[in-house]
Amino acid sequence: MEEFLQQFINGLTVGGIYALIALGYTMVYGVLKLINFAHGDLFTIGAYLGFTLLTSFGLADKIGPFAAIAVLALMVMGLVAVIGIVLERAAYRPLRNSPRLSAVVSALGASIFFQNAVMLIYGARFHVYPQNLLPKIALNVFGLYVPFVKILVLVASVAMMVGLYVFIQRTTIGAAIRAAAIDQGAAKLVGIDVNGVITLVFVIGPALGGLAGLMVGLLYGQIKFTMGWLYGLKAFTAAILGGIGNIPGAMLGGLILGVVEALGSAYISIAWKDAIAFCVLILILIVRPTGLLGERVAEKV
Amino acid sequence: MRRLGFVLSLLGCLLFVLGGMCTARAGTIKIGLMGPMTGSWASEGQEMKQVLDLLVEEVNAAGGINGQKVQLVVEDDGGDPKTAALAAQRLVTQGIVGVIGTYGSSITEATQNIYNEAKVIQIANGSTAIRLTEKGLKYFFRTCPRDDEQARVGVKAIKKLGFKKVAILHDNTTYAKGLAEETKHLLEKDGTVKIVFFDALTPGEQDYTAILTKLKSANPDGVFFTGYYPEAGLLLRQKKEMKWNVPFIGGDATNNPDLVKIAGVDAAAGFYFLSAPLPKDLPGKEAKAFLKKYAGKYGNPPNSIYAVLAGDGFRVLVKAIEETKSTDPDKLADYLHNKLKNFPGLTGTISFNEKGDRVGEVYRIYKVNEKGEFILQQ
Repeated sequence: MEEFLQQFINGLTVGGIYALIALGYTMVYGVLKLINFAHGDLFTIGAYLGFTLLTSFGLADKIGPFAAIAVLALMVMGLVAVIGIVLERAAYRPLRNSPRLSAVVSALGASIFFQNAVMLIYGARFHVYPQNLLPKIALNVFGLYVPFVKILVLVASVAMMVGLYVFIQRTTIGAAIRAAAIDQGAAKLVGIDVNGVITLVFVIGPALGGLAGLMVGLLYGQIKFTMGWLYGLKAFTAAILGGIGNIPGAMLGGLILGVVEALGSAYISIAWKDAIAFCVLILILIVRPTGLLGERVAEKV
Repeated sequence: MRRLGFVLSLLGCLLFVLGGMCTARAGTIKIGLMGPMTGSWASEGQEMKQVLDLLVEEVNAAGGINGQKVQLVVEDDGGDPKTAALAAQRLVTQGIVGVIGTYGSSITEATQNIYNEAKVIQIANGSTAIRLTEKGLKYFFRTCPRDDEQARVGVKAIKKLGFKKVAILHDNTTYAKGLAEETKHLLEKDGTVKIVFFDALTPGEQDYTAILTKLKSANPDGVFFTGYYPEAGLLLRQKKEMKWNVPFIGGDATNNPDLVKIAGVDAAAGFYFLSAPLPKDLPGKEAKAFLKKYAGKYGNPPNSIYAVLAGDGFRVLVKAIEETKSTDPDKLADYLHNKLKNFPGLTGTISFNEKGDRVGEVYRIYKVNEKGEFILQQ
């Protein structure tokens, strides 16, 4: 039982990161019906920007670790959001009215561009976040061992997801995003600035992806320019699992994927971990082709 | 008239360029280097290139091989079998005599047949998987030792450290799986040490806590991880964060200073690994001189033994071309198999057996100390 709970928590941490990245996929898909394949690389850029900011300013020494990480998170989110806007302007907006396939090819191209840009700027070697930045406290709950950083990551990702959900459901701007997701033409007719909405989507999605990158850096330390591919693939799977285009679905899909992976490797076989996770995905898609929450919510965002 | 002059000068230029190309072709010997310049093993590949650049410079400064200059043709295998196969195909069309590389066994395996069919001598520098030389390929050699040798030393280390229950973890690559299975086989034959865990992780991920939790519940006295240094570093770091103090032993692919960088000094301390002697522990005069020269050019001595083993591959190939006065692959292969005896390499004396394996030269056991340095154990 103890081992089960420990594995469950291991899975939730990984799943929280998958979910944060999955939000970016799902929001862009909801509004543009486009899979943003460059999203995983925005995640990598977030991790690298966090590394640069952390090591070059020495913020942690000046204002303490927690304030430093809060400032850092805001800076990384802001910068990655700017890259997201540029990406949309340069790679997606010119193809808005072209066949959908052209935009997908453009997305793949952007992904390759970002990956190589990071490699050329930072080099092909690993980079390692400074150690001992955060206090190494561990909570010991009934013999379960949970490091403090993990709790921080999990809490931050859940807070971000809930915040986003409330923003989309309760605010006027959120309503505008939902309207643009349902019908762009009709949204324009009632006076919604659809281009503005799309820009906003490319601010929120990449910002969350960048934040996930920073979290991975803080949690595992090691970052490399190819890391976005695997995380992107897993997050994309999570988005589909939960029902692509649906925000609670992306959160649920991410958490489920993380937990299934952890439990699969614990009780079946580590080597078959990914196979188990993808089998679960296939089974769910057979039963519910639109994903877990794909149908229940009528308005997709 | 002006137009005619223009055409004539153009023709002249063309002739000059063509002539230049022809003399270049006749005057140089092309040797390939296939290594992981990008990807997770990029630090290995980039050092391989630095070592070979230095050696090529040295050979050319001394007048080349039999009066012909050497030209190095570098292709990136990305640490990936698919990329490597393409790199090998590009290399064999460029008229190379031989190719040095590469590091990972599964990467080398993807290219072996391409080079063999093209009759290009291949000298691998880090690929220790047993089956690479069991295929009867005539033009394949390696300067690194083999994993059956490594498994023997691994078992010795496991017994010396007094483990009664041991966990073996690999990563499903040709090399890691081969080493893990060979070790398991030897331990089962020996019978005094119990294997309580045998499984593989997925390389390239970052969260290995699920695997560590499972390993912990098997309660081993020690863990033998046969994979590569990026994963080993993360395992050590996450094991430390779990406050689990089990000793880890790694195979020779964990031998890279980046391991300590990834794990952090305090998590890496106490980690044992098997390896051919590190560059700094190389005894020979040749090695000392080379290391000094390398440090003079690049600012620091080479970190990885595999880069130096790539250098040895290059040097035996140069020796073979010099001695046979030929670039005929059959003559070169024959020379390397049968006539090259006790060549003074940077990493010790080099001879090849009929399979293309290097004879002699044993693995050592290293331990990471409190400062993150690799210390040779006796």
